[in-house]
Amino acid sequence: MSAPGGRPVVEATGLTRIYAADGVAVRAVDGVDLAVEAGETVSVMGPSGCGKSSLLHLLGGLDRADAGEIVLDGRRVEGLSETSWAVLRRRTIGFVFQSFNLVDELTAVENVELPALLVGASARRARHRAVELLERLGVADRRDHMPDRLSGGESQRVAVARALINDPLLILADEPTGNLDSRATGEILRLFADLRASGQSLLVVTHDARVASTADRLLTMRDGAVIGHTHLGGVAPVGSVLAGLADFGDAGGAR
Amino acid sequence: MRSFRLAVRLARRNLRRRPAQAALLLLTLTLATGMFGVGMALYGSADGPWDRVWAATDGFHVSAAYYRGRDADRADVDLDAARARFAELAAAPEVRAVGGPWTHLYGLLDVAGGTEDLTAEIRDLGRSPVDQPLVTAGSWLSAGSDGVVLEQGLADALDVGPGDTIRVQGHQLAVRGVAMTVSRGRFPLSRPAQIWITLTTGEALRRIGLTEEGLEMQLRLHDPDDAEAFATAHEAIEGRGETSALFLDTWRRRRADSHSDIDILAGTVFAAGTLIGLLTVATAAVIVGGRMAAQTRQIGTLKAVGVTPRQVVLALLVENLALAGLATLVGLGAGRMVAPRLAEVSQTVLGRPETPTLTWGRAAVVAGVAAAVVVLATVRPAVRGLRHSTVRSLASGARPPRGPGHRTRWAATAGLPLVAVLGLRSARRRPARLLTNAVGLSLAVALIVVAAGLRPSLNRLAAAGSAPAQPGEALSAGAVDHLYEAVRAIVLGTAGLLLVLATVNALIIAALAARDSARNHATLRALGATPRQTVATLIVSQLGACLLAVALGLPLGLGLWSVMDGGDLPPVPVPATTLLAIAAVVPLGFAALVAVPARRWARRPPARVLTYE
Repeated sequence: MSAPGGRPVVEATGLTRIYAADGVAVRAVDGVDLAVEAGETVSVMGPSGCGKSSLLHLLGGLDRADAGEIVLDGRRVEGLSETSWAVLRRRTIGFVFQSFNLVDELTAVENVELPALLVGASARRARHRAVELLERLGVADRRDHMPDRLSGGESQRVAVARALINDPLLILADEPTGNLDSRATGEILRLFADLRASGQSLLVVTHDARVASTADRLLTMRDGAVIGHTHLGGVAPVGSVLAGLADFGDAGGAR
Repeated sequence: MRSFRLAVRLARRNLRRRPAQAALLLLTLTLATGMFGVGMALYGSADGPWDRVWAATDGFHVSAAYYRGRDADRADVDLDAARARFAELAAAPEVRAVGGPWTHLYGLLDVAGGTEDLTAEIRDLGRSPVDQPLVTAGSWLSAGSDGVVLEQGLADALDVGPGDTIRVQGHQLAVRGVAMTVSRGRFPLSRPAQIWITLTTGEALRRIGLTEEGLEMQLRLHDPDDAEAFATAHEAIEGRGETSALFLDTWRRRRADSHSDIDILAGTVFAAGTLIGLLTVATAAVIVGGRMAAQTRQIGTLKAVGVTPRQVVLALLVENLALAGLATLVGLGAGRMVAPRLAEVSQTVLGRPETPTLTWGRAAVVAGVAAAVVVLATVRPAVRGLRHSTVRSLASGARPPRGPGHRTRWAATAGLPLVAVLGLRSARRRPARLLTNAVGLSLAVALIVVAAGLRPSLNRLAAAGSAPAQPGEALSAGAVDHLYEAVRAIVLGTAGLLLVLATVNALIIAALAARDSARNHATLRALGATPRQTVATLIVSQLGACLLAVALGLPLGLGLWSVMDGGDLPPVPVPATTLLAIAAVVPLGFAALVAVPARRWARRPPARVLTYE
């Protein structure tokens, strides 16, 4: 399923996750095969509850699969302990959550620098890189605000900055533009395009067809299974999507 | 009415949803009400027999006594002067009837293993108008009989009755009867041992060496309520020589002192109930506060669908008052069962106390205390939860701090480990709860200090009890051991109970803190923090309350101990090394307790916490 070319950053085979709800087994992820190569962006679309977020959680080690295997950066990971997973995640994976999941006891900039501090970067270096990312995403002026003082869009951009600070091999983004206005969406897409150019891989769950169209490939999910697989390969370059977004004319940073 | 029905339905739903927390609250409230109940039942249970015997013996209103120390030089004794003062007292216009003065002979009773100090009171043959002992076996003194009447406690201790004999300084005397009176306490709590004899027997005892050393006179006044004023008005006749003393006592004072042993038990249980009650308030506040935090979102939902703030508060009160009511019933039921057993170990001035009973009034007091505890613990968090806007309530259960704070910012730059900085940040999240936790834990620390002081004191008491008998104490030495054993069992049992309660309290604190932090910690793990790091973060966040508790609890405990130390317990200061050990062990123990729920949460996959919690 991987695009021809580079080595897969992450490769999943027969990935399955079954939840028991009121005695009924629900196959949230049902035998998914997937590979994301270095520098590749893959979008995942599908209706709510089809297993997109569950798939991201399994690939990032936030949940355990009931069946199937995952190879991350050339290493089998399904049997790793929680601690080993945590250490692996620090450098390899950056998460952007749909509901941001900013640590509400830390300021915006502290949230961003947290993963850098966890890998052992000096406080000064972590702060420098965090501020740089916040500036790039247009929220540097909110750096000392607590999460409950940030708008949805600002929180999302802080969450994106946090995912990028360790330059991970793979970014797992769950609706990264879901709370953003058109202008902020454009900033995120530009950033993602830059990441792809620098060799980082992205797996982006989205409901927004325009965002999905900027990916190299599009996976469509339903009832936990991948039912469609489309090679886009620059069909909708970021520039054209941004032009389309600009038509909405919503440049405000709603709070 | 519809409001109330809705509140009841909501309360029932909450109870079903969180049965473990409800059970914990019920357990702590039950412990407190049970202990209160026992204490209240015991109080005054010895009053009944005293009052009955006082009435049956035409008990005194004012008692005048003249004594000398047993080991003192007789040169100080002036019985004639004492008689003159007694006569003056008996002639007072307030006096309606006079018993005595009766002469006391001092001697030694021969008992197994040695001798016991004895007072033989020479009585007239006829019935005294005041303080005529109530015969419980055999008969009273009569002409032509040289038998003696034994005080009930002495007869019990010797295990003798009418028809048996006793030996006084080698002289054998027949036991004619056994009697009790309120003017003389029950042996061995009241020493020396007492027998009543006729003038003839007195002469015989004088011949074998018993000497005349004391006098006692019992007065009845026209109005018993005047006793205190009478004693005060005539205090000029009281006098204390180097080895002898003449003093007045009133029936009320004697009545209050007459059952001091059961009062010790009641006081101990009552104090334990109070301490458990205080800890219960702290625990209830933590549980209810924690439930409120968890219910904030639910309150938001309820408010959003039109439930009024009044109905929400009513639901919480119904829920917690139902628990308090159940706890009162169970606690009082348990108290009713335990109180008679405790009373059984007691000795009072007049034998066994009555079976302790709980009156409706006392039950109401216990129920009122339980209700007050839950109302106190419910209203504040409920009102706080309701003051929040509906949107804020719906947004999140946990309250973020207003800002990073200079101290924690400084801590970060000072090079503290990341988990420490995160823990400190987390600690600032709920300052009120941190303070509540600290107060609750400080009580536990204080009680540990008291227990540390009690142990050597009680051991010293026990050692004193089992020490070789002093001359004249062969029978009474060690006879009160079982009372001290009972007190010791209650005190140490209470200390153990409080320790368990404090542990439960700490576990609740830890469980609530772990739940509050679960989402943040799951996020931390998603970012690369290990489970061990999140556990350490939670421990750091809660350790502040524990350290504050140690800082408050140690002086509080020492203060409590100094109060107890000033009572009947021998002064045994709590060693500095023990205090240091407490200061070190309590935070370590607390950290271990916090780690329990923290590890439980850390074992859950982060995705599950982030998605469902």
